[in-house]
Amino acid sequence: MVNIVINGRKEKAKEGATILEVAREKKLDIPTLCYHKDLSPFGACRLCTVEVKTNGKWQMVPSCNTPVENGMEIATDSEKVLENRKAVAEMLYYRYPETEAVREMAERLGVDVFSEKGEEHDCILCGLCVRTCKEIVGVSALAFEDRGPERDLEEPRIGFDPNACIGCGSCAFVCPTGFVTMEAVDDKRIIWNKVFQMTECAVCGKYFAPEDQLKYISRTTGVPFAKLTTCSNCR
Amino acid sequence: MDKLEFSSWNGKVVDNRKGKAKKASRAAAVPFPVPVRGEKAAAVMGWNGLVVLEPGADVPSLTVQYLTEIRKISCGECSVCMIGIDMLLDIFKDMADGEGFESDLAEIEKIVRDVAANAKCNFGQSALFPVSDAVKHYRADFVAVVKGDRKIDGKAYGTAVTAPCIEACPASLDIPGYIEYIRNNRFSDSLGLIRKNCILPGVIGRTCTHPCESACVRKDLDGPLSIRLLKRAAADFERKEKSAPLPVPSGAKDGKVAVIGSGPAGLAAAYNLRRKGYGVTVFETLPEAGGMAAVGIPDYRLPLDILRHEIGLIGDTGVEIALNTGIGKIDMDDFRKKGYQALFLAVGAHAGNRMGVKGEETKCDGLVDGVEFLRDLNLGKKIAPKKKVLIIGGGNVAIDCARSCVRLGFKDVEILYRRSRAEMPARLEEIEGAEEEGVKIRYLTAPLEVVSKSGKFSCLNCIRMKLGKPDESGRKRPEPVKGSEHVVEADLVISAIGQSAVIPVTASKKSLSVNRNGTVKVDPKTMMTSVEGIFSGGDCVTGPATLIEAIAAGNRAAEGIDRYLRGEAAGGGLSFEGVDLKAQRAGGYVVKEGAETVPFLEMAKRTTGFGEVEGGFSHAGAMEEAKRCLRCYRVAVWEKGK
Repeated sequence: MVNIVINGRKEKAKEGATILEVAREKKLDIPTLCYHKDLSPFGACRLCTVEVKTNGKWQMVPSCNTPVENGMEIATDSEKVLENRKAVAEMLYYRYPETEAVREMAERLGVDVFSEKGEEHDCILCGLCVRTCKEIVGVSALAFEDRGPERDLEEPRIGFDPNACIGCGSCAFVCPTGFVTMEAVDDKRIIWNKVFQMTECAVCGKYFAPEDQLKYISRTTGVPFAKLTTCSNCR
Repeated sequence: MDKLEFSSWNGKVVDNRKGKAKKASRAAAVPFPVPVRGEKAAAVMGWNGLVVLEPGADVPSLTVQYLTEIRKISCGECSVCMIGIDMLLDIFKDMADGEGFESDLAEIEKIVRDVAANAKCNFGQSALFPVSDAVKHYRADFVAVVKGDRKIDGKAYGTAVTAPCIEACPASLDIPGYIEYIRNNRFSDSLGLIRKNCILPGVIGRTCTHPCESACVRKDLDGPLSIRLLKRAAADFERKEKSAPLPVPSGAKDGKVAVIGSGPAGLAAAYNLRRKGYGVTVFETLPEAGGMAAVGIPDYRLPLDILRHEIGLIGDTGVEIALNTGIGKIDMDDFRKKGYQALFLAVGAHAGNRMGVKGEETKCDGLVDGVEFLRDLNLGKKIAPKKKVLIIGGGNVAIDCARSCVRLGFKDVEILYRRSRAEMPARLEEIEGAEEEGVKIRYLTAPLEVVSKSGKFSCLNCIRMKLGKPDESGRKRPEPVKGSEHVVEADLVISAIGQSAVIPVTASKKSLSVNRNGTVKVDPKTMMTSVEGIFSGGDCVTGPATLIEAIAAGNRAAEGIDRYLRGEAAGGGLSFEGVDLKAQRAGGYVVKEGAETVPFLEMAKRTTGFGEVEGGFSHAGAMEEAKRCLRCYRVAVWEKGK
């Protein structure tokens, strides 16, 4: 355990935990768009930024990927933090004014938001899908297409590798804006424009999982494919 | 600086404009990037400030151009940087369209502050400050735009992108770029980017002296990124998966180029010329391609199959490599007759220097020079171990010889060095590696005489040294201690005190100009020698240097040769000499975390064979290490001057 001061209160925190984890445990509200407790922190949305006192000077840090240190002084709701959070939300809203998840967040943080509901489902590059695919599913079919001096890309985006994708749909599940969609048509599932053949449950006959996903599970666990063709309800 | 109008470089304001001159403005400006090769700048806007050199410079237009350029580097991964740049561009567009307000100028400064405070990487934290400087110090010009009295229009601009690590790299690899690809699990893209400037990534990833790591901003914080090992990870990943062929040109150009020497310089030039569409033949004297990478570096540091694989890929693009083909005399006319319009001379520096002691001239069994010893070893010659070997010298070749002797089974391996450990030019990790393996180092000892009996080496007469005042190299000069002469016995002596180039003779009327130390003279801009059509680079121009410097020379020569064959002059660029690339006005909070580590071969296996000593990153380890990169891209845009 380490000793910290958070919003003026002396507290004990688990060593190695991030400021965000500690704050949420203490029921302090810190907004996030790119954070998920089961995934590695990414520091993309910048909404979780708090103030930390280092070398006697207050500094802004993203709370999701900054671990607490012994003696650390943290402010999660100072005027500067709230102003800064609003500024970040304003920028997100400027770029994605029609995306509901962004609209709601901006409104919550004090940005003047138009009253009509958002109709768009923009990708806000939060990286939740990329991390889920790599860290939870383990296939890494999604990756950022970043930019630099030698690269020519008008807008950054998420790249999709159809050969690696198993069609599990985790990315669509975790996407906060509805940008990643998953469609079911008869015995097919369509995700990232790739069409997957679904497998029928051997007991109830419902289509429950893409063949590629079951093959992947079979390959990585050693369980024969035939033993995987029963859905979770019938197992 | 005679013509400086204004500078806010590194936050230090110097203002010499008419009616604006203040006391402080007499001070000299902090060094800022300047155009080279005869080009002039009216104004320069870069990550750390605005510099105006000509009174007529158009600051508002330059600001918009700068924003357009940094927009290309902004990766979009954090919420503020790219969106902030877009907001600023939109504001300027409205202004230009006559829909701006003077209050927008305050909004611009707020956006700059918000982005700097929240951006994830060093690029985002630093890139927008000059925009704020421009609005603050050239406010009247921006107000004129708002009022419609001034236009925002394109002038002639130049752009340069660098980073502290890129600038430190002789071959200017896009280091943050290829690291970012690895972080994003795109190893093949990373390798593609590396190969644009470094055609031997697996070789360089193992052997580079990595000046980039000394320049890394994290160095003083928690240790630099392991940039060399990340490059190796990209190369190893591809070799393990499946090697894709190197990009081959779509349209071929007329013209053929001859390359003499298949070392890193020759190979880099050959591949880059091939990529530009030329036909290329590489002539190599030895039975193995690769130059010093093949015959100068032992297998435990660089396994031969890595080099062969990378040379094979170059060969697959259509570059012809003729082994066992020495060129005695270079006759450019003869080459022209055979269809070669240009020649690149890259013969390296393969002759061992003399120690300059008595008895050295008498040929004797048991005395060899280091480069020759390593060459024989690498070309497969059987070297029977004896009891005691002495290696003279303190450089990397000396260490390579010593560690090779340990592996060959010599019982007693000792290095003699005339200065102390602090002055040893070899890489510290190599010296430590040698010591771990049982190599002894006798400091402050120099040879005086080689004693041989009937053509066989017998012993070395030596003398103790002490350190005097620093010499021209900055290292303390060793001075002999009178009366300390002594005899050192050994079965074999390897002298490794430097190498020189042996330049082939040219047959043309105009002979090749060489420097006093025997290296070839070239025009640094074009890499052309004193003979029209003959270019040169690598160790034979610089004297013994690093592999990456040789690759850089090959890259530059390919550019020079291409320009020469197309009859085009060299373009301008921006020089960052003297500019502190690490400096930026706002820095983020960086969580301290040391570099990822790699496994090393266990000691028992090191002394019995030439297996590779240093391991590479795992896939996940490389991605973790890549996350530490602070992405310190620096962009500078200049309005061309009169």
